[in-house]
Amino acid sequence: MTNLSPLTESADDGAAMPEEAAQATAGGRRGASGLRALLPSWSPRLGIGLVIVLGIALFGIFGPMFVTDPNAIDNMGMTKPSGDHWLGTTQTGQDVFAQLAHGTRGSLQIGLLVGILATLLSAFFGIIGGYLGGYVDEGFSLFSNVMLVIPGLPLVIVIAGFVPVEDRGWWTIAIVLAVTGWAASARVLRAQTLSLRNRDYVAAARVAGERPWRIVSVEILPNLLPLLASQFVFAIIAAILSEAGLSFLGLGASGSHTLGTMLYYAQNGWALQNEAWWWFVPPGLVIALFGCGLSLINFSIDEIINPKLRMPKTQKADKAPVAPPAPVELKEGAADVPPATDTASVTRRDAVLTVRGLNVVYQTDNPVHAVKDVTISLGRGEILGLAGESGCGKTTLAYAINRLHRPPAEVSSGTVTFHDKSGQDIDLLALDREDLRRFRWAKLSMVFQGAMNSLNPVISIREQLEDVLTTHKPEMNSAQRKARCEEVLRLVGVDPKRLDSFPHELSGGMRQRVMIAMAMLLDPQVMIMDEPTTALDVVVQRGILREIIRLRDELGFAVIFITHDLPLLLELSDRIAVMRAGEIIEYAPAGEIYERPQHPYTRQLLDSFPSLTGERGAFVRTGESSARSRGEQNEPNAQVDEGAPR
Amino acid sequence: MTALEVRDLVKDYRIRSGLRSSTLRAVDHVSFTLTPGRTVALVGESGSGKSTVAKMIARLEKPTGGQIIATKPDGRPVGNREYRDHVQMVFQDPFASLNPFHTIEHHIARPLRLHGVTRGGAETRKRVEQLLERVNLTPAGTIAPRRPHELSGGQRQRVAIARALAPGAKVVVADEPVSMLDVSIRLGVLNLLARLQREDNLAVLYITHDLATARHFSDEILVMYRGHVVERGPADDVILTPQHSYTKLLAAAAPNPEERGRSLADSPGAIAPEDLTRTFDHHTKSWQTFEKARPIAAAVANPAGGDTR
Repeated sequence: MTNLSPLTESADDGAAMPEEAAQATAGGRRGASGLRALLPSWSPRLGIGLVIVLGIALFGIFGPMFVTDPNAIDNMGMTKPSGDHWLGTTQTGQDVFAQLAHGTRGSLQIGLLVGILATLLSAFFGIIGGYLGGYVDEGFSLFSNVMLVIPGLPLVIVIAGFVPVEDRGWWTIAIVLAVTGWAASARVLRAQTLSLRNRDYVAAARVAGERPWRIVSVEILPNLLPLLASQFVFAIIAAILSEAGLSFLGLGASGSHTLGTMLYYAQNGWALQNEAWWWFVPPGLVIALFGCGLSLINFSIDEIINPKLRMPKTQKADKAPVAPPAPVELKEGAADVPPATDTASVTRRDAVLTVRGLNVVYQTDNPVHAVKDVTISLGRGEILGLAGESGCGKTTLAYAINRLHRPPAEVSSGTVTFHDKSGQDIDLLALDREDLRRFRWAKLSMVFQGAMNSLNPVISIREQLEDVLTTHKPEMNSAQRKARCEEVLRLVGVDPKRLDSFPHELSGGMRQRVMIAMAMLLDPQVMIMDEPTTALDVVVQRGILREIIRLRDELGFAVIFITHDLPLLLELSDRIAVMRAGEIIEYAPAGEIYERPQHPYTRQLLDSFPSLTGERGAFVRTGESSARSRGEQNEPNAQVDEGAPR
Repeated sequence: MTALEVRDLVKDYRIRSGLRSSTLRAVDHVSFTLTPGRTVALVGESGSGKSTVAKMIARLEKPTGGQIIATKPDGRPVGNREYRDHVQMVFQDPFASLNPFHTIEHHIARPLRLHGVTRGGAETRKRVEQLLERVNLTPAGTIAPRRPHELSGGQRQRVAIARALAPGAKVVVADEPVSMLDVSIRLGVLNLLARLQREDNLAVLYITHDLATARHFSDEILVMYRGHVVERGPADDVILTPQHSYTKLLAAAAPNPEERGRSLADSPGAIAPEDLTRTFDHHTKSWQTFEKARPIAAAVANPAGGDTR
């Protein structure tokens, strides 16, 4: 959630930030916000669903009090809706509106009882089995699976058929429906419990010595509430529909009114043939509307369980409040981003990519300015390091350069120019879709963090590599493609024999090498690498870095290397740009950054990495006195210092 | 005096693939002792078995063989019931180790109640605030009612540390406590841990893959590779004069701007075959051949991850 709030992150070392403290003193309402996170966020969908469901529920609860006896027979026969009988009468002169009110109540009763029973059953078998594991889980799970494969409706028909008509009250039907309907949600709950059981906070509770029943009820159950609610709503829908089906078949509860029995009598009374729509349309409509309303509510509950379903707008809106507006401050002269003209003095190489005054804003209710006035230039064959902590905007910048950013992120101003080898200048932000597709990968490719996991597991390495070639270079024949694939694999230090392997047969380091090979397939002039080695062990990382440097020397492409690991950049790159809160605060050759860091934040970053072999110096464990007054002591101005970018 | 002794710890995992099952030895005869006031770092890469050792000490996993013996400050052994009062753990991921549903106060108050440190609501609340203040989460009164998602990663990890201290633990196992945090706040958290260690005379097991912080924040380093301890000794000795070829490899691979331009040209090297069956102890300055442990399986010829050329 704090992804876009570098300031909160850096403020961490000390106490709460001033504005946070101010909020907190406003009262204890914060305590409720955890529960609030479990409630669906407001949306028109939820509103409509709630109105429909509440309307029908109120009608079912209070309607029967105001209507005449639904069973009262009148010899007026079947009549159309009129002032006396709002929805007309049945064949036997019974008031349809009165029947509808009682029927709705009956259906709701059954739905509610089934919902509660089925949820309890599924919670018992799913959660207990999932948490305990072992034989209990195997037994419970076998039982649920057996219940699941028994075809529900036929079983219901058989059971309902065996219960004598006189004993078949509405609660009998409800129990039959609950017993046949809980298994599917037990499986869902079990799967979720299995995943929650392995969370660290459950392990932490075990280390603290909590008893198993308390772990289930206090640590796991609350996190299952949205799922339980959704299963509950689903069980109600299913129950009302099944009951209607059963009653329609004449196997429903005897002597009670439900929407299903109404339909049953309408069918028996030839309502359809007599064109008596007022008899069968209202109960059908109530069932349909109620199901629809509950489904709408369920959608909103699903959004809590799976935040990906949320509209990007609401998702970003959560983040916005934690990103405080950056106060404008006087910049130290040295910290200023050097203008593009300055680059000539830094390197004689001509530029391959120029980014000028780039601004990227997340257009949300509370816009987040993720990249602010970034100006950098990348020389041909240069390795440019982009250093910064999480949420500083470095990945957003990389995406924007390649125009991979998605709404709500928008480039609000600035230019990205690619200087092709041929001498042509390409304005990346102006390319149309088709040109952009051709441009990407061929001239500028990317390797993402965890890219090794983005290989398709069911397709061989060869096919995945060749696919890039067939898309971008259709003129190549299969022999040429094969030769090129083998060549790039050899380049990154992978035996070409592995072309026919599948991703799971390769180690993480090997897969990452394959991804780099894929990025090099089309001989790009620029490669953007976003934390390409973060997930790897240091020895593997070193091997891959060596490869990147060697290839750069051989092939002469330029690299933008993004990472939080400043020592790594100091070794690897020619120049380094340090980013903080969307701004490049220092931009200089690597040696200069190391020896003469100008910006306090750069110094702070450098100091965050104790030297491996150097003097112990300030990093002998002296306790917090060595934390360099970074708000460790609770000084009032330390807080302000932390909150404001320097 | 020792707070916790680990003797010949072994952990086997059964791997079922289809009908066949085989065992994987994740930890192979690991022994060490933790002393009050001192930090032992367990260093190694993913899959080296270091986290498994942590889990066994925290009693989240059952050892296949070997012993874990905890001793109270007065020298008496720690019984089964008191074990959780004595040994606590700080997890790697502060975003996962706090229950999103509960308040910060709940996380710290529970262990206090559970271990009978405090009785009654008011006393517990007071103690929670004291603990929060000890880990520099101030003002404690406004932090306690919050929920984990309202705190930053570093703040959450401080809560996790406070939770570990709540039952009055004497041994703290810190499993990669800062690797998920932003770089600029890592040292702050480690320094906090170091200060609490001094104040409470804690025995700390610091598990990490980062050689540099291991060197600066621990007294003793144990290097683990594929379930074996391959080198041990005082922190500076292990890092500055590594003897085992795996330790050398690790030390050479760690980014080190002081030697800019050197290591990238060097070959990553490989593990010497004779090192697969022995371990170096800097205290006795001698090699010891594995007695009970199996030789290290050298499945990867080139640990740098590429095919050999």
